[in-house]
Amino acid sequence: MAEQKVGPTALGKLVLVLFVLALAAGAAYYFRDVLMPSGKDGARPVDMDAFKAQQGKFEAPDTKGITTVSEYTYVPAEKLPPVKGVSGYVWDPATKVVQFPINVWIGWLPIVAANHGFAPNNESIFFKEYGFKVNLKLIDDPVVARDAFAAGQSHILWGTLDMMVLFAPELMRDSRTAPRIFQQIDWSSGGDGIVVRGNIHSVRDLKGKTVVYAQNSPSQYFINNLLLNAGIQPSEVNHKYTATAFEAAAAFVSDKRIDACVSWAPDIYNIPEKVAGTRILTTTAEANKLIADVWAARADFAKDHPQVIKGLVAGIFKGMDQLKDPGFRARAFQWMAEGYGMQPDEVKAMEADAHSTNFAENKEFFLNANNPTNFERTWKNITFVYRELGLVGTPVRFDEVMDFSVLQQLDREGTFAHQRDEYRATFAPVSYTKVQAEAPILTQTIRINFYPNSANIFEPQHDELGNPIPNTLYDPSVAATLEKVARLAGQYERAVIAVVGHTDSSMKGRGVREQDVRALSLDRANAVKKALVQKYKFDPNKFIVEGKGWDVPADPDDPTNHALNRRVEIAVYPPEAR
Amino acid sequence: MSEPAPAVGGETTPRSDGVPAGSAVRRRRQAPWLAIRETIPAWQGWALGALPILALLAVWSLATAGGAPEERWISPTILPSPWEVIRSFPELWFDRALTRNLLVSFGRVAAGFAVALLIAFPLGVMMGSFTKVKAAFTPLSVFGAYLPIPALVPLTLSLFGTGELQKVIFLALAFLIYLLPLIVSAVDSVDDVYLKTAYTLGADRWQAVRRVLLPVAWADIFQALRLGFGVGWSYILLVEMVDIGKGLGGIIIVSQRRGPREHIYLVLLLIVAVAFATDKAWAALGRKLFPYREAR
Repeated sequence: MAEQKVGPTALGKLVLVLFVLALAAGAAYYFRDVLMPSGKDGARPVDMDAFKAQQGKFEAPDTKGITTVSEYTYVPAEKLPPVKGVSGYVWDPATKVVQFPINVWIGWLPIVAANHGFAPNNESIFFKEYGFKVNLKLIDDPVVARDAFAAGQSHILWGTLDMMVLFAPELMRDSRTAPRIFQQIDWSSGGDGIVVRGNIHSVRDLKGKTVVYAQNSPSQYFINNLLLNAGIQPSEVNHKYTATAFEAAAAFVSDKRIDACVSWAPDIYNIPEKVAGTRILTTTAEANKLIADVWAARADFAKDHPQVIKGLVAGIFKGMDQLKDPGFRARAFQWMAEGYGMQPDEVKAMEADAHSTNFAENKEFFLNANNPTNFERTWKNITFVYRELGLVGTPVRFDEVMDFSVLQQLDREGTFAHQRDEYRATFAPVSYTKVQAEAPILTQTIRINFYPNSANIFEPQHDELGNPIPNTLYDPSVAATLEKVARLAGQYERAVIAVVGHTDSSMKGRGVREQDVRALSLDRANAVKKALVQKYKFDPNKFIVEGKGWDVPADPDDPTNHALNRRVEIAVYPPEAR
Repeated sequence: MSEPAPAVGGETTPRSDGVPAGSAVRRRRQAPWLAIRETIPAWQGWALGALPILALLAVWSLATAGGAPEERWISPTILPSPWEVIRSFPELWFDRALTRNLLVSFGRVAAGFAVALLIAFPLGVMMGSFTKVKAAFTPLSVFGAYLPIPALVPLTLSLFGTGELQKVIFLALAFLIYLLPLIVSAVDSVDDVYLKTAYTLGADRWQAVRRVLLPVAWADIFQALRLGFGVGWSYILLVEMVDIGKGLGGIIIVSQRRGPREHIYLVLLLIVAVAFATDKAWAALGRKLFPYREAR
């Protein structure tokens, strides 16, 4: 009775199972986008026009083009997010020790000098003059530094401005941990760089190649900003990510299929010496106003202890003064070596990686609204690049983190009036033929629509009778275009920039003298140079102009594409003493 | 559970105590709430297991309770509330391709496990069987267990590149270091009685290994594999630091930098869920393969 078979046969069971499986597979396929979505990350094509115009939006096209230093007029406290709730950091009012983590980076030398070492002590300028102590702690991992900051274990967060752009949105969820940036410590000046294999001579050659770098680090900003400036979509390059710059360098050395790496000193200098067939493409020695190192304070700490913040800013500037004395500088190297567990010689070898920014340079960075590489423009440029790469969602405004109130106070008190802007590259006049002997680091093509036969970039529109219409522009986006060039020229402050004008060949063979065409293209290049020098106060010798007439069509395979040919090309050349 | 335990030296187990029927007596005998090695119903097992988890959730909720971030005991920039974490799940699932990344990571762990097994199994059995092989490899195996293997990442990078190979090899290394001693001890602990019996029956060396040592050790080896499979997940962050892009470790690393924090904890919860499911699968397989063993 028990053996009586009830139910389907073996074949029946098989068919049933197959049927159910087929149903499940069909359903899975139908819902594949729900079950296995492919994600939204990954590079979307960057709108190159938006890259150009990103910072042209905040001001109307400026036809006068002549401005001097113009300082922000708003009060930082009105734009910064107010701090709510009870302060959430660890602080002992009896000992008053500011927890200030730093990474291995020569830029921290002024604060190490001012503090007479890493540990809190009574000799420190901060204690002697401002009544608090500073504990410099080596926290090289930015994520650990960020977490200690968010947890209130440290009051300060070290970082480059591009790291702050990435950290800020999360940190600002809590108004107490919102970062407040009061001071720029340095510009990376040779500390970051790109090493390539021999067959790559210019950024343009990176198209279709593989680049390795540390994700979410200054390296990522460096390379992607460079690509965009050379008119290359980031998606046209194969990106490989590592967690640290050290690993990026190691991966480049060990894997011959990788064509380039973005890393830090000393690796970027060691690799070309040790690995045959590799060379440096560019470093922050040329792009010397691209990567800014800053520190940020917790908003609640800054609110509760404005005098401590002021003391930190002033103490660091004093440290810069003191470092001018060679004897004291040697002691500072010693302290830094002890703090990092290195040899003083090793620390000294890092000396050229960064340029400390003194009071005058900080004023330029925070307060001069016209500086092509000021806080606002640098922040916006980073935000643009990272947004297009899909790295930041809702971005944070620059005036939600930038606080120049301490700088303004110190300016009024005149404490550091003796510090001058020492970071202006000087250029000797040089000819185009000489400069272009070496390959440019990158070439940027800009298009300014010139009125026929005119070299005036601010040419108004004309009515049917050819009379100019006031308050109009023939090329309404000219201010944005100039802004893009100015940004690149500012970031590559030490490089020589060639401005090369071209015309179309629409009148070729129609009785036009070739030298007139050349003259027109040269005039156009000169007009761009003049506008840049006037508005952004560049050294005129930084720009070398050349007029090519119709000799070099943009696309050799399509020489009669007139719209494409009416252009100005901007080429960035390494400085001679590289 | 299913194996009838032979009564040894007067010891009594709760089921074979032969107490006469009578609830009063039984109640008195079972009175201690915490009895040694008692049998409990499945629902009790689940309930007891759920309690600490619920307690943890309660602590988490309390620590992150309060509307505004500033009113919380722990700021959301460190630890978001459970609700916030759950709410960010669709974003993780759809925008960051959770399932694909999970499969990638799972594939890497499984591949590393398989590679490790290719070495650990024959070597472990040899070491467990032959004293001279054991003497040769034990020092290496001991050093391995003490080694902070994260320090070997750069070395594996330069040897195996930055692609999948390096990830699998590194995970395999981690698995190998963990599995080898367990397999050795599984073979090692086979009772001499079985070996002697086999020799009496005229077995040679290889027969002793194949017919006696291995069959007896199988269940313990299986148990070792089950325990060891989790090890790979603790190294997933480390291997996915290089060539970040795909994998759960990549999601965590990226979220640590640019948020959202919620995704870090979600991925951790997911790894726990995967661990739970895989362990249950191992257990089920164990019950099928070794029904004479108690698969807890």
